[in-house]
Amino acid sequence: MSIVIGRRAPRTQSRGVEPGYAQTAQRWPAQPLQRRSLTASELSAPGNLLRRLPPLRGDLAGYGEKRAIGQLIHLRARVVDEDGVPVAGALVEVWHCNAAGKYIHANDSHDAPADPNFYGAARMVAGDSGLVELRTVKPGAYPVPDSGGWWRPPHVHFSGWGRVWLARLVTQMFFPGEPLNDADAILNAVPDPQARQRCIARLVPGENVLAYEYQIVVRGRKATPGMP
Amino acid sequence: MKRLVPTAEMTLGPFFPREFGQDANDLRSVEGKAAQGEPIEITGRVVQLDGKPLGNVILEIWQADSKGRFDNPDFLGWGRAATDANGVFLFKTIKPGACEGRAPHVNFLVLYSGLMRQLQTVMFFDAADDPVLHAVQPASLRERLIAGKEGNRYRFDIRLRGEGETPFFDD
Repeated sequence: MSIVIGRRAPRTQSRGVEPGYAQTAQRWPAQPLQRRSLTASELSAPGNLLRRLPPLRGDLAGYGEKRAIGQLIHLRARVVDEDGVPVAGALVEVWHCNAAGKYIHANDSHDAPADPNFYGAARMVAGDSGLVELRTVKPGAYPVPDSGGWWRPPHVHFSGWGRVWLARLVTQMFFPGEPLNDADAILNAVPDPQARQRCIARLVPGENVLAYEYQIVVRGRKATPGMP
Repeated sequence: MKRLVPTAEMTLGPFFPREFGQDANDLRSVEGKAAQGEPIEITGRVVQLDGKPLGNVILEIWQADSKGRFDNPDFLGWGRAATDANGVFLFKTIKPGACEGRAPHVNFLVLYSGLMRQLQTVMFFDAADDPVLHAVQPASLRERLIAGKEGNRYRFDIRLRGEGETPFFDD
């Protein structure tokens, strides 16, 4: 299948340097980004990434005495391309902090407790419908050090692959109705309100499960026959 | 058909799980099977505007096999490395061959805390006749995409911002 990558709509993406996020001014390039014509190199991708990145965990909440503390939730994330076609077999990495807002990571200096029954990292493979499901606990909020009172709202990090090299996507999923969403420098780096809204999951209460549904759209659409 | 808009990219943040960044930087074999070609190493240092080297930067690469093919079942041309505390990354791989219309090259993607979007760049082995290298303007910046060579080890430093800034691509 031949894949076309179109240019991004600028208002649906961060501009790079964000006033509320100091490190962006140290790290985002000052020079304009270069334009190039795409070749087979950018429009191809490894056949089976699982051979290098094996699946890891499929459940972060645990059971019984090993149950993680916090509100049990199910995340249902669907990976589709710009045509809305599911990316069957897509690899998806997920990571998030525990219910108290603490990551199991050397970089996390926040004074919040670790949970011995929670390690917030999973790698999954999407089924034929592009769906990955993760049973986990809802992450907490936490402050960003030396930021003058910026608290990250509860969020879940996603890393996913599409059909070609340029379809790689790393993003964050947010929860609906969180007051901290409105002031978050990362969520609000997306200028277009509709594009921002698509980063917020939809709450779907079920019989015994509090589910959140979320759609990841990776770059790429099918080439139209006869079109260049 | 209604076209969907690609999801907004957001930063990797400072807490990318260490285990995700490990054990994926050696492309020389896949499932125990060694790839054909010239073994090489690619190393470099990633720094920010003030020159500070950056630890735990995630770099991903995508390249052709030694004959310039992207669909060789015995060579998975994808790898991931994390920089160490000195900002240094290392890939062990096979030197890619030329493919249709392109000189040998390695595609790089940089993910990091403070980078709201992924950064795309390309490493070349020499000042080759290549359409992507020639797309870089002004031409004086092209040498920044050409790796230094010491034996079988290629050096490709990445400066995210500031003097000597690496050219990055927007597609």
